Amino acid sequence: MHGDTIVALSTPPGSSGIAVIRISGPEAIGILEAMAPGAREWEPRTLHNCPLYGHGPQLLDDVVTAVFHGPHSYTGEDSAEISCHGSMQVVSAIIEEIVRRGARLAGPGEFTRRAFLSGKLDLVQAEAVADLIASETKLQTEVALLHLKGLLSGKIGMIEKGLRSKLALVEASIDFSEEDIETYDPGELETVASTYTALIAHLLQSEVAGSKLRRGIRITITGPRNAGKSSLYNALLGEERAIVSPVPGTTRDVLRERIHIGGLTYHLEDTAGLAETGCEIESEGIRKGREAAGAADLVLFVVDAVEGWQEEALEELEVHAGSNRIVVVNKADLVPGGGDTTSLSPAGEERTVAVSAMTGEGLALLRDKIFDFTTNGELSVVQGELIALNIRQGIALRRAMEALERLVAELGKNSPAEILSLELREALDACGEVTGKSAAENILDEIFSKFCIGK
Amino acid sequence: MEYPIIVVGGGHAGCEAALACARMGVKTLFVTIRKGDIARMPCNPAIGGLAKGQLVREIDALGGEMGLCIDYAGIQFRMLNRGKGPAVWSPRAQADKTAYHERMLSSIEAEKNLDLIEAEITAIAMEEGKARGVRTADGEEIKAEKVIIALGTFPNGLMHIGEKQIPGGREGEPPSRGLSDMLAGAGLKRERLKTGTPPRLLKESIDFSRCQVQPGDEDPAPFSFRTKKLDVEQIPCHLTWTGEATHAIINANIHRAPLFSGQIQGTGPRYCPSIEDKVVRFSEKPRHQLFLEPEGRDSEEIYVNGLSTSLPEEVQLEMVRSIPGLENAEIVRYEYAIEYDFFPPYQIHSTLESRNIPGLYLAGQINGTSGYEEAAAQGIVAGINAVLELRGKDPFVLGRSEAYIGVLIDDLVTKEIWEPYRMFTSRAEYRLSLRQDNADERLLGYAVRFGLLPREQWEGMISARKAVRRARRRLETESVTLEGSGKMRAARLLQRPGVSLEDIEPLLPNGPLGLGKKEGESLEIDHKYRGYIRRQDRTAEKLRRMERRKIPDGFAYKDIGALSTEAREVLEKFRPETLGKAARLAGVRNSDVSVLMVFLERAGDER
Repeated sequence: MHGDTIVALSTPPGSSGIAVIRISGPEAIGILEAMAPGAREWEPRTLHNCPLYGHGPQLLDDVVTAVFHGPHSYTGEDSAEISCHGSMQVVSAIIEEIVRRGARLAGPGEFTRRAFLSGKLDLVQAEAVADLIASETKLQTEVALLHLKGLLSGKIGMIEKGLRSKLALVEASIDFSEEDIETYDPGELETVASTYTALIAHLLQSEVAGSKLRRGIRITITGPRNAGKSSLYNALLGEERAIVSPVPGTTRDVLRERIHIGGLTYHLEDTAGLAETGCEIESEGIRKGREAAGAADLVLFVVDAVEGWQEEALEELEVHAGSNRIVVVNKADLVPGGGDTTSLSPAGEERTVAVSAMTGEGLALLRDKIFDFTTNGELSVVQGELIALNIRQGIALRRAMEALERLVAELGKNSPAEILSLELREALDACGEVTGKSAAENILDEIFSKFCIGK
Repeated sequence: MEYPIIVVGGGHAGCEAALACARMGVKTLFVTIRKGDIARMPCNPAIGGLAKGQLVREIDALGGEMGLCIDYAGIQFRMLNRGKGPAVWSPRAQADKTAYHERMLSSIEAEKNLDLIEAEITAIAMEEGKARGVRTADGEEIKAEKVIIALGTFPNGLMHIGEKQIPGGREGEPPSRGLSDMLAGAGLKRERLKTGTPPRLLKESIDFSRCQVQPGDEDPAPFSFRTKKLDVEQIPCHLTWTGEATHAIINANIHRAPLFSGQIQGTGPRYCPSIEDKVVRFSEKPRHQLFLEPEGRDSEEIYVNGLSTSLPEEVQLEMVRSIPGLENAEIVRYEYAIEYDFFPPYQIHSTLESRNIPGLYLAGQINGTSGYEEAAAQGIVAGINAVLELRGKDPFVLGRSEAYIGVLIDDLVTKEIWEPYRMFTSRAEYRLSLRQDNADERLLGYAVRFGLLPREQWEGMISARKAVRRARRRLETESVTLEGSGKMRAARLLQRPGVSLEDIEPLLPNGPLGLGKKEGESLEIDHKYRGYIRRQDRTAEKLRRMERRKIPDGFAYKDIGALSTEAREVLEKFRPETLGKAARLAGVRNSDVSVLMVFLERAGDER
């Protein structure tokens, strides 16, 4: 039942100096008051120091509290925050007492969901909070914060405003055609539609970037046996994750770990070396590795600088000709710069890097190339600001763009006003879907504020 | 005395309501103060117009009387918006006001189930909180199961002419006091609205040679589907414009306008501003357009459309005489503004039945609307619903995607009324389908089912529709050769802008399609709009789904903490009948709708 009271630890679990516990719902303040008998009346949105008691009564901790009365709170409901000492034992005792008094543990994202449902956040902002919580890197955090501040909402709002004023002109030409009022100028309407189409197209480019920001990017390391794939894997991870040995075919299964480069999350996969083998387990490993490479956003093809380009390696590389790939010439510490292997790389100079997983030589350059070849400048900067869209926003904006494109086509056909209005309304409706508000409503208000209407 | 249904008020809403009840077979009492005032037109001498013309066609398709009356009483017919697409064409006609009244009165007197009497009603007789009849000014009580009231601008009407104030419901008629006060006493909230009507000029005092002529259509189209042919000698209207001199007079006397001095409290319509309002707000406009419209074929009076004002009489005259063509004009009747009570329609159901007083129906200006057509539309809906309720049948509620009438009533029960509500095509989000040419296809079925129109009407329409379908199939299969563009399917050719059915028909290999004028037009319009309508239909379906999700009466919004405070207030006030209506309330956000959906689902599960 919604409208019950929820509680959760808001800071990460584990020992820390201070932990913050949040309660939200109709009983939030009552529960807290009951646990702090004798405390003076709490002024809302102000910090108060008081002891908290549990069942018994038994002193739980000396804490700092703040209470918020709905709707002036994050969730829009009555809520309270308790800053207690950060030992897990203290935290659990407090939460247990709160639950005993009628609250329940919050589900994931439940505070934000309540904030959204009570109208404290619009859809874009609610999604941004979810992103913010899930974000691991600085770049992700920045994008999420920009959304939270309503940057995307602001941009869409600007488009909506422009479209509304044009729609008012078009509608006035239908509903007030008997009166001598200014009507829409098809040329001007086309300019506006084209401008917004371009602006939305630009926003949409960041959809790809958005999905990369959220989901992370898959990189698969592949190449002949014993080229040092697992050593490279460990070197990029900065830890000994994969077992490394001079025995060919050490790696059997696909290993996967996360790394961060340039503020992005990457899922890095190590796979079994490619070779003809009679071993059933090994060939299954190779099959899985190929599958992984096929689905990856980027393939790191590792060759051994000492071994150079063997027939087998060249054939294997050919398999990945269509993929986004970087040739990594490993063991460059043994052959300076990777020798012929680098210069003769079929992938071309730009997509070939000589590294040494052992010494760390060339790894920085490899990281740069990984970032460049996985973003292609797609982490688009829209007028100097980063906007990364999620899938839902992308779909809605595409609908708006298509409506505007159709509008331009209709203008080219000299279509009548009611058809132009149809497309304008659809574009507005789609924009409203991004922010969760309907913008095509009350177009009459716009008309009346603009025109001298009335016989 | 006892009747199953009593209709109070002889205006456009009352007439349609009374006729609908009687024609559905219910013995009905129709009460008006004076028979001579049945279906009078106190303002514009015209029926129809943008969006209103569609309403008249819909009323007609439901078996109403308005279309037939104007076809009889019309003296100039025009199809407006011809320059735009056919979806927004709207018929409009200048009416001979006297002829219109006579035609309506004779229809009413000819209706065997309808008794017309003259009386003033001062109270609704109540029994156990329900309407149970009416009480006249003489203290007589007449019992009824259902009462429909359509009082127009009469409830506590107060007329303003310049600084003068005269209580009255219309020029020369006293206001109605008792009934409004009685309803307010029974708990109905009431507010004030304001409207006005421009001065009338003596026809022979106008120099029309200095004005621009506006003739009627060469081939005038009738309003009613039942009128086979219009045989009318048309009379022109004229146009003239205010100028600098007029504006100077207005500016010099602006302090004497009650609207500006604050003497009038009620809100006037923004779409019908006074001339002083136009001059003040849009001072950059050098002139304002005025239409000179005859009040009837032989009438001596000319209505000055566009010259609403609240200025005193002597200023009105000075102002009028500063206008080209009106230099020697004489004012027969001065402009007046009128303030009146209305009962904000968040208090009614979509059937137009009062929430507070079951058995009582409200129609027309009493619900905050403006216009003869808007009133008549509500009248017929109230009449039909009163009868259906009497018989224990399902209510008659038209959807927004079905008719302008549906849009009108849905707006009434979901919107705050700040000014008299008037229909506009932009209010109808599915206007490509809600056309004047297909009102019969959309609504005739209801009229036949309710017994408002004979079965033959329906059969006639069905056979016409079949003919259109056959013709459409022919266009899709037959190829034609057009000079310069080679051979192609006729249907494809018709899709092109500027190509009409008339151009194609002679080219068809199997000869002409054999459709009537109306059917041919309807085929062509449907064909040209096809792709757009299909897209519109998809969103309409979404709307219908939302509309099917009913919200139980007495749903406790206050217990749902997740609703925003604003949404909760609005929902408590309007008590929407469906989720769709809830979503359309201002102040209810998408997130509130999601919350409601969750709770409705839960309520459904528990039941």
